[in-house]
Parts: sequence; C-alpha cells; structure tokens
Amino acid sequence: MRTFFVLLRRELGALFLSPIAGTALALFLLLMGASFTLLLYLLAQGVEATDGGTVMSHLLGSFFTWLALLIVVPAATMRAFAEERRSGTFETLMTAPVRDGAVVLAKYAAALVFYVALWLPTLIYPVALHALRPMGAPADLGALAAGYLGVLLIGAMALAAGLLISALSRSQAIAALGTFVAVCVFFLAGFIPYWPLGLALTGAAHYASVVTHLLDFARGIVDTRAIAFYLINTAWLLWATTIAVESRQWK
Amino acid sequence: MLRVAGAGRSRPPAPPMMIQVSHLTRRYGRTTAVDDLSFEVARGEVAGFLGPNGAGKTTTLRILCGYLAATAGEAIVAGYDVRRDSLEVRRRIGYLPENCPLYPDMRVDEYLRYRAALKGVPARRVRDRVAAVKAQCGIEEVGHRIIGQLSKGYRQRVGMADALVHEPELLILDEPTIGLDPNQILQTRELIRSLGGRHTILLSTHILSEVEAVCGRALILQHGRCIASDATANLRKLRRGRRRVRVELRAPPEELLRALRALPGALAAEETAAEGEGWRRATVDCEEDADPRPAIFRAAVERGWDLREVRLEEQRLEDIFVQLTRDDDAAPAPANAAGTPGAAP
Repeated sequence: MRTFFVLLRRELGALFLSPIAGTALALFLLLMGASFTLLLYLLAQGVEATDGGTVMSHLLGSFFTWLALLIVVPAATMRAFAEERRSGTFETLMTAPVRDGAVVLAKYAAALVFYVALWLPTLIYPVALHALRPMGAPADLGALAAGYLGVLLIGAMALAAGLLISALSRSQAIAALGTFVAVCVFFLAGFIPYWPLGLALTGAAHYASVVTHLLDFARGIVDTRAIAFYLINTAWLLWATTIAVESRQWK
Repeated sequence: MLRVAGAGRSRPPAPPMMIQVSHLTRRYGRTTAVDDLSFEVARGEVAGFLGPNGAGKTTTLRILCGYLAATAGEAIVAGYDVRRDSLEVRRRIGYLPENCPLYPDMRVDEYLRYRAALKGVPARRVRDRVAAVKAQCGIEEVGHRIIGQLSKGYRQRVGMADALVHEPELLILDEPTIGLDPNQILQTRELIRSLGGRHTILLSTHILSEVEAVCGRALILQHGRCIASDATANLRKLRRGRRRVRVELRAPPEELLRALRALPGALAAEETAAEGEGWRRATVDCEEDADPRPAIFRAAVERGWDLREVRLEEQRLEDIFVQLTRDDDAAPAPANAAGTPGAAP
C-alpha cells in the first residue's frame, strides 16, 4: 500500500509539474468556456431555443465538451509508460521491489486525479447559473450530480484506454496519437444510434453509445447498465495494461 | 526444493552463495542471448562479468534483477528464486542499469527520497539513508539540483547512490564507467573498491583493465556462455603455450632470422620492421618455459651484431581476452566463424 502512494506521489508530481498540465488546463477551460457561452446564448433566446434539454445536457453535450475530452485524455496518459520506456527509467522502476499491478494502478490513479482536477473549475458554471436564475426557477441538483458522474465514468474508461496505449508504445507522440484516435472512434461510434441505419444495429449501438449515456446522465437519469458498461471496460483495460507491462519479461 | 508458498518472511539460512545460476538460457525470438549459462558468486565477492558487446551480459543481469524472465534454467539470489520470489530478490539488489536512467525533471534529493521509499526504507530512516549515500558517492553539494542539468559524471553517482540507498546485499552494476572521462572512471572504480567490503558486487564491463582494477574474480562471457572463470590474478595464466620476445639488432636479415630460429626453445621468428641504418626489429615465439634472452645476447656477441633491445613481452590481459574469445580451440564455445580474424571485440 505504501508503495502505491509513493508511486502515486511521483506520478502526480510528474503530471502536474509538466508543461502538459498547464497547456491542457488552458485548452480545456477555453473549450468549456465556449460551451458555457453557447449555453448562455441559448438561455437568452428563451426556453424554445434550448429544445427542451436541461442546462446540464447543453453544457456537457455540446461539441466543445467532446473536443475537450479528446485533448485532455491523451494529455493525461501519453507520458505514463511511453516516456519511461524511452528514457530507460522503466528498467529502474520495474527492478525496484514493486508489483506490476501497483505501478499500473498508481499511474492510472494519477491520470484520474489530473482529469478530475481539470473538471473542478467548471463547477463555477452551475454555481453562476444558480445565482443568476430567475426567481422561482428550480435548481436541479440531481441532474448536476448525475452529469458529473457521467463525465467521471467516461473519463475513467478513456483514461484506462490511454494508459494501455501508452504501455504499448515507446514514444509519447505515438501514444498521444493512438489515444486520440481510439477516443475519437469511440465517440464517433456513439453517434451511430442517431444515424438512419438498420434497426438492429441502431438498437444495439444504443447500449454502447457514449452520446446516449452522457445525455441521459445530464438529464439526471442514472442507468446502472451504463455504469456497469464503463466500470467493466475500465477494469479490463487496466488488466490488459498490466499484461502489457508484464510482457517486458518475454519480449 | 522445500519452501512453503508465501513464506517470504521466514528467511532461509543465509547461503554461502549470493548468486547461483544454473543452465540459464534466454532467447529473443530466434537469437540466443544467454546459452545454458551456469556460474556462482560467493557472498562478499567482487566479481566482474567480462565479455565483448553482445555476449549476453546485460541480459543475464536483467534476469537476476527480475526485469526479464529466463527462457530456461534457474537463478537464485540470496537464497530466493528470481522468478518465484522476485520481490524478495529485488529488495536485496541494488541495480544500476547501463547508461544510468534517471528522471531528469526531479531534484537529486527528491529522487533519492522517492527511490528510498519505493525500495522499502522505513519513512523515519529515509533522511539518514539519503544523507549517507550522498556522502558515500560524493554528491552532497548537488542535492538541490535538477538531475537533467547535471553532468554525466554526477548523474552516474546519483545512480550509484540510488543503487545503494536501501543497503542492498548485492550490487549489480551494468557497465558502470561507460561514457565517463578518465578522471571519473578512476573515481567510480575507487568507489566500487570501497564498497567491496560491505556488499557483494557483480559488475559487467567490456574493459579488461576495469576487471583487473576492481574485481577479485572475472567471469568471461562469450556467445552467452561462460568460457572462463578465475581469480583475476590467475587469468594471466590462462593464456597457454607461447611467450614472445621482442628484439632489435643491427644484422643482415636472413642470418638474423636463421640465428633466432636456432635458439633453444624457439618455435618461430619473424622480422617485424626495418628501422634504418641496418636496425631490424624481430619477434621470437618460444615455448612457455623457455627464456631465450641470454642466448640472444650471446648470439649477437658471437656474430658481432649490435643489440639495443631484448624484451620479454608482458602478458597482457587484453591478449588473453582476445585469445579466449577468438581462438577456436581455446574456447569450449561452439566453433565461431573461423574465417574472421579481424573481428576483434
């Protein structure tokens, strides 16, 4: 357990003190700010313009949010293993008395903390809206919490995928690009239910659609199937990462 | 072997051997890097792994440290199997990999504290241990500096301090002086020598003088096999057969060679250079127990030749090494390509 925290501390230091952290935070807040501005614009147009959606579904479901995730996830995980392999420190790390699993979990936890830290400032938006809402308008705290839960779950899975790709690669750039493509494909696949395709495929795709999931969460619908979907995917991706780390022994 | 599963805590009685490797084999795809290698290193010994590049030194060291798995065979370190009890083994090894990888973005103190905690040094002892290894390695004055800005020599010493920080029983150093300038090489060797009393050390190198300078015993590796293993002092005797005498005389060439070949115990003689004004250099190879030097002097006096040098060639470890790793008959290794005499390591 102590090993895990020692590793976590080192990983957090490496992530937060790197230039990546500042760049990612700046870009992320720029995009989320754009999303918020769009929301304010819609609200100013009146209820019809919001198309019946909730405030959270507009804030989290906008194009800008997807773009932000596409940038943040590779930024959080690209260094994890690829940089250790490139610089050779992977050898000093793995010859210390540490379990492979502890290393994977520590790097994952650090990426997750980084991800959560990026999202924290966006809490100011709902707070601002709450303060400015017309008299008597209800505040939907449930939808707010569910929306952020969705963001956390999607991030958890995407970060696990990014970690796996970093463990398979020797260069940060390749790891970043691979993660970007993987997350991109996953998001684009999330729009399949909204295409006019065959019914069978559309129905099945609904269960795996990140878009459907996030919009549901943002409306305050907490679907256990969606939660299970993200947790199971996160688990097997982390397990695969451990295998990739172990594979050094056999290569 | 009788060992209760998970009995990591109950130490087996300290075995006299620190490292026991038997029939170790490691293949990378089709290439065999380590081929049925067996050797032992006793507690307290300073042993040198010697071999040309690509002989399997690094692969063997990585197997001992648990970084790589062996394809076949077994390795025991401090009584623990490197595969089954990898963590126990790693707790007892201080490993300095080749080229000394470090995190360039960390400060020296920060890095050493991190490594100490990672290797299980109790929190209350971390500060003392870091201070101790910094003093040992001569890096007290760079504690606050960022590793990426240090010179190669300092980085090497930080790596050494890292290897020592958890007081390991066994130190494994892979090419510890590679890329250092001559002064730094001497300092590093001095440091290794000073550690010899307290730790068992296995270091790898392709530089012979390094083994001679710091190691009590050398294990010579080639093609993943151990082709010779002996106390460094005895290694010189490994070269079998011939002694060579160099002479420089003023004499007619044919007569000179005829006279040299006629010496007692002489096997061959040849002229190596003409120096002008009639001076000629030549070498005489003779049997191991023969010393033709007095006979050469007498022959020159009898014939009225001027003599300005007679020298028994020093048995250099380099020659032994080249001979061991190249001669087809000297090495029990599979006959290596005989037609490449120029392939010196």
